[in-house]
Amino acid sequence: MKHRFLACALCLMPFTAQAQASIEDILRDHIMLRFETLAATSEALAQTASDDCEPGSEALKSVYADAFDAWVSASHLRFGPTEVEDRAFALAFWPDSRGATPRALATLLAEEDPIANAPDSYRDVSIAARGFYALEFLLYDETLTNAGNPAYHCTLIQTVTSDIASTSTSILKDWQNGYADQMLNPGPDAPYRTDEEVVQEMLKALSTGLQFTSDTRLGRPLGTFDRPRPARAEAYRSGRSASHVLLSLEALRDLAARLATGNADLAETLDAQFADAEEKLTALNDPVFASVADPQSRLKVEVVQQAVDKIRETVTQELGPTLGVAAGFNALDGD
Amino acid sequence: MTRHYLYSTAIALVVATPALAVEPAQVLETYADIAAAGYEDSLITAKRLQEAVNDLVSEPSAENLTAARAAWLAARVPYQQTEVFRFGNPIVDDWEGKVNAWPLDEGLIDYVDTTYGGPSDENEFAALNVIANPAFTLSGKEIDASTITPELLEETLHEADGVEANVATGYHAIEFLLWGQDLNGHGAGAGARPWTDYAAGETCTNDNCDRRGEYLTAATDLLVSDLEHMAAQWAEGGAARNAVASDADTGIAAILTGMGSLSYGETAGERMRLGVMLNDPEEEHSCFADNTHNDHYYNGIGIQNVYLGKYTRVDGALVTGPSLADLVAEADTALDVEMQSKLGAAVMALGRIKIAAESGFAYDQMLERGNEAGEALIMGGVNGLIDQTRSIERVVTALGVDQISIEGSDSLDDPDAVFQ
Repeated sequence: MKHRFLACALCLMPFTAQAQASIEDILRDHIMLRFETLAATSEALAQTASDDCEPGSEALKSVYADAFDAWVSASHLRFGPTEVEDRAFALAFWPDSRGATPRALATLLAEEDPIANAPDSYRDVSIAARGFYALEFLLYDETLTNAGNPAYHCTLIQTVTSDIASTSTSILKDWQNGYADQMLNPGPDAPYRTDEEVVQEMLKALSTGLQFTSDTRLGRPLGTFDRPRPARAEAYRSGRSASHVLLSLEALRDLAARLATGNADLAETLDAQFADAEEKLTALNDPVFASVADPQSRLKVEVVQQAVDKIRETVTQELGPTLGVAAGFNALDGD
Repeated sequence: MTRHYLYSTAIALVVATPALAVEPAQVLETYADIAAAGYEDSLITAKRLQEAVNDLVSEPSAENLTAARAAWLAARVPYQQTEVFRFGNPIVDDWEGKVNAWPLDEGLIDYVDTTYGGPSDENEFAALNVIANPAFTLSGKEIDASTITPELLEETLHEADGVEANVATGYHAIEFLLWGQDLNGHGAGAGARPWTDYAAGETCTNDNCDRRGEYLTAATDLLVSDLEHMAAQWAEGGAARNAVASDADTGIAAILTGMGSLSYGETAGERMRLGVMLNDPEEEHSCFADNTHNDHYYNGIGIQNVYLGKYTRVDGALVTGPSLADLVAEADTALDVEMQSKLGAAVMALGRIKIAAESGFAYDQMLERGNEAGEALIMGGVNGLIDQTRSIERVVTALGVDQISIEGSDSLDDPDAVFQ
């Protein structure tokens, strides 16, 4: 189904640029702001962990939540600096359909692998053992919070948090030291040749973000009617599944509004559709989508997914043509 | 005489159409011809595999296992080049999971090493072992697997319990039955299943040799019939051929969608980059046979084929005709040059992986933590594929502006209309 959809997106693609959106505003107030917050909260996380690495520490869990929130709010911005040296993957490896994260962490803990002694060497470790989702296992998983030698477990938490901080800082630095300028100054030898290509990148971030939230954040726990999969909900161990959907919708709503500035009617439609999706999600009052397993209540989760899909449709069929670009290819095109 | 006559006719045609324009319909015909030839070649080589498998099962021997493995490897060459038809054509995409699903929890099918583990959170049936179990319960239903038939594999076992990793059919299930698990970790070497896994009587190793042979035969028969189906879809009058021919715009979009999606999301992302980032030898596309370098390489060739409108068949014949490259060159010569050079660079980068793998540096080794040369090789391929995707997007734009008209939508034909 999604491929048919994409094929259609391609035929819509090519039209004279009507790019009304201000690239400069989006760069400053949407993108840079988010990576500044990610770098600052990640730094605070690493600082706290350096003094307090107890898996049960409320202080540690609280700064972890702040930094993870910041990542989710920026997680749709998957281009340029996040894609260098696998940085985004190193911050966020999920979904993990083959259980690579718990397996990799259990191996490190069992072998007390010295590679975890320093953040520099830790960069060579499998992405499954790095980033926010790995840290969730170390802080919340029943087995892995208590696994291994406590001193090594502490070191591992400190190393994973330092690694998160250093990755987040690298992303911000690249944005500040060149990438934002490159997006502002397209040209024949630049990564983006025209303003339209820049706007296309931003539109792609919006549509890919919506797709991920619908297909993955909501679709994975939903599974099928006969076989719901509550244990596939994102970050359910820390009770963050629904809040990730909300955070992503809030971030995407902001980006959509900025992209639609040139067309007041469309901006209004999009805003109403986002408000609708957010309201339906809040009304669920189900932090980890446990209700997907119940035939009665699962419908309400499906309704949220449908509301997100409605936004996707508007973005593809109206916002894209308005801007004169289409979403192009994204990393979710495979299977 | 005849020759002169033809010659002058050709001249007349040229004079009549001085622009020498390539029509999208001609490009789509070449595209469908390449698909038809590619699936037919896949079928021809799958039938050779079927013969080899029949020999192995009826007369088990080391030689016959080796011959079956060789036939499997040969069969992958044309098939991997057809993957570019997958994403743009729903008829192919809806079918593809039957023949090339991956990755798989092979414990569903046959015995596995103790390090494999048992049922997981994601898959209750990860270690079902159908070959050893003629009866079992699946999602509350009693299953009679006393005879292993293509129907059992296709209708009951494949994607059992709604889990994609339950791959019971296709190339990779057959690969597992021919090679067995690759237990070398990051070391060189493929799976080392002994031929005696198919032997009769006391020579049989790892039990249930007859059922193993039955499974292998059923899976191979199914592959042949599935490929027969797809080859027919692209033959004259076939549904897939008609679908691309019915509308020039959607047909051209299908070519580009297939090229872009296979380059970026599928090969560069799911199959290559993830393996490097996870340092996991299980993330090899053909992890049992250690044939992953060829999987990627022939994907790259397949993408290049449909752009250039050229495909080399398994008997050496060249299928060729008016191409997407011709169409792009008419719209924007520089862009065609860019596209061709990106496709060539990506194929070369994928070729470096193949060269290294065939000279003894196995793909598993490239994936090992801290193996910089391996990472550089694989990332070279990934970057080439990502880079060519940018150019494919430019081609979409260029053809759209100059060539593709969209029917039936005011907001598209007249962008200003949406503001009224």
